[in-house]
Amino acid sequence: MIEILSVTGPASIQDLGRFDQYRFGVGTSGAMDDVALRAGNILLGNDENAAGIEIPMMPFSLRFGRDMAFALTGAGVEAEIAGRAVPPWWRSHARAADILNIKAMPHGARLYLAVSGGVDVPIVLGSRSTQFRGEFGGLNGRPLQVGDILPCATSTATIGELGVEPADITLARPNTAADETIVRVIVAGEYDGFDADTQALFWSSSWKITPQSNRYGYRLQGPAVKPKAPIEKRSHGIVPGVIQIPPNGQPIIQMRDAQTSGGYPKIATVIRADLWRLGQARLGSKLRFEQTAYTDALAAEAEMSAYLERLRANVRLVEETRTCR
Amino acid sequence: MTAPDRPRISLLGTSALLFEAPGTFDLPHQRRIWALAATASKWPDIREAIPGITNLMLTFETPPRQLDDLITALNESWDSVESLAIGGREIRLPVTYGGEIGSSLRSVADHCGLSIDDVVSIHAAPLYTVFALGSHPGYCYLGGMDPRITMPRRQTPLQRSAGGSVSIGGSQTGVSASPGPSGWHAIGHTSWRFFDPSWPTPAALAPGDTIRFEIKQVVR
Amino acid sequence: MPIEITDIERLAQILARSGVDTIEIEEPGLTLKLVVDTAARIAAPATPAAPTTDHFVTAKADVAGHFLAAHPWQDKPFVAPGERIEAGAIVGLVKIGLLYAPVVAPTAGTVDAVIGETGAMVGYGTPIVRIRPFN
Repeated sequence: MIEILSVTGPASIQDLGRFDQYRFGVGTSGAMDDVALRAGNILLGNDENAAGIEIPMMPFSLRFGRDMAFALTGAGVEAEIAGRAVPPWWRSHARAADILNIKAMPHGARLYLAVSGGVDVPIVLGSRSTQFRGEFGGLNGRPLQVGDILPCATSTATIGELGVEPADITLARPNTAADETIVRVIVAGEYDGFDADTQALFWSSSWKITPQSNRYGYRLQGPAVKPKAPIEKRSHGIVPGVIQIPPNGQPIIQMRDAQTSGGYPKIATVIRADLWRLGQARLGSKLRFEQTAYTDALAAEAEMSAYLERLRANVRLVEETRTCR
Repeated sequence: MTAPDRPRISLLGTSALLFEAPGTFDLPHQRRIWALAATASKWPDIREAIPGITNLMLTFETPPRQLDDLITALNESWDSVESLAIGGREIRLPVTYGGEIGSSLRSVADHCGLSIDDVVSIHAAPLYTVFALGSHPGYCYLGGMDPRITMPRRQTPLQRSAGGSVSIGGSQTGVSASPGPSGWHAIGHTSWRFFDPSWPTPAALAPGDTIRFEIKQVVR
Repeated sequence: MPIEITDIERLAQILARSGVDTIEIEEPGLTLKLVVDTAARIAAPATPAAPTTDHFVTAKADVAGHFLAAHPWQDKPFVAPGERIEAGAIVGLVKIGLLYAPVVAPTAGTVDAVIGETGAMVGYGTPIVRIRPFN
């Protein structure tokens, strides 16, 4: 088990998400950076859907109740286990009573802590992810608090320290300035409801991610992008990544805890292969959209899958070498 | 360009596709959407078929390589489906109109040029049909609202609206199942449990069920 | 089947960790003999290494790849000359494929010199950091 000693901001238990409950109004939840959670689980030999802790703010600390392997992926942080520094995208081993201290997050926006065997909270409607709106999943459907005790699946495996290359190095996008994120989008149903100048403004603008951005959605700030005439849609299903334009012309990107339906006009949707990049985009940083075709979006997903497959193969090679001992 | 009497089909990135039926927001159209959902949910690589208000979202288990086949199948099915009449349950929901939670009652009345009592009696008159579930766990979109109390959604959505809020958004109405952000205007509230993840079916209501609002109190 | 370089690297790792110092593989048309200098290595991770005659202990790479003195996300190298480090401290990384394998200090002491150069190809046993042990 794990005991939370200090927490800042809404840290939560997440797996890859809850994907087949839309018809009851239940959104996906799940890790905002699913690539990072998968990488942590791959490092530990876990099921890639094993639940971990998503930590959006520092400082954060916890105590391990017994010997346990763990991995830190996602954001680059200043972390120490029992006083030893833990590099980014790294697996290490804690002994019973060791304290993991995370002090600062110089890179990215969300840290993932995966533990050997996964955080063992009950599966609710097919997932361990926290559903904040419905107040279920995760630990009692709420953010983590000081004193929380998290059950962990038993695993006695001892593994050596090892790191992997962070996804945003391997999958770096060209021409990305420092403190700027570029995501690829496919135009959505109401794109043609905006005139050519407004469309051009949407593509050329560098959007600021406002402090009102969270797991529900990212509220952006920039020039007003308004349709030719007001569009009032009948409510329809939406998914994480959908970019809505409310009447004030300031885009909102729906994220993992978004409502499952909406009616504001949609100008575009961030492709699935780039959602994790949004998950690591910092408040106050800049965001740009790059138009992509459906087939290119599928190619981007294939590229992401290939990165994960290489990770699996590389880590497996290390384990095979070890078992030859 | 799509002809006005043809469905509109658009992508939601690589995760889903949206089918929007032409025509009015009414029960006959919605019954065809339910029928299309029942058909499309059995297609390969489709994870779920989720009815909206005279529209349908298909989420992908695996994004199809070719979209053309799926689009053709949707159009052909829409043209051939029989309407699916669901004989649902009737629920009576006592509502307190106005008050702190229903604080937009006055602005809806002003916007529509009606008195508060008019808005309440017009809102509580119809037998509403649950057209679709969505937004948040257990939330029901209702069909049957009188267009006289239509009010456009908010310019900027509220960060937090109370659970049990009875609200109007555009020409639709509904009751929130839990607190959360909303772009709608709350005119009242009810205390009723719409969702529990431990129930065999987690949502209390399903498309085809009907709701009648009972005026419990009007707080001015 | 021909033996690949990566196979040889793996075999070398396996030998090193199992304490075997020589292996010979004979296949038609091919003979491979690997000799591993295990003496210094075996002592290293388990128990603090005894200071060598020149009073330095060397942290060595134990896989083949490219040496990184700092994590790519961090400007500051893992260690710098004059720094005091604990036994087991990470003194650098070896990048092999997508993996970052740690190079660890075999003993506590003061960093005397960082020998490895970032980006340089290193192999099993390549000296990375020279450490002056305490006492």
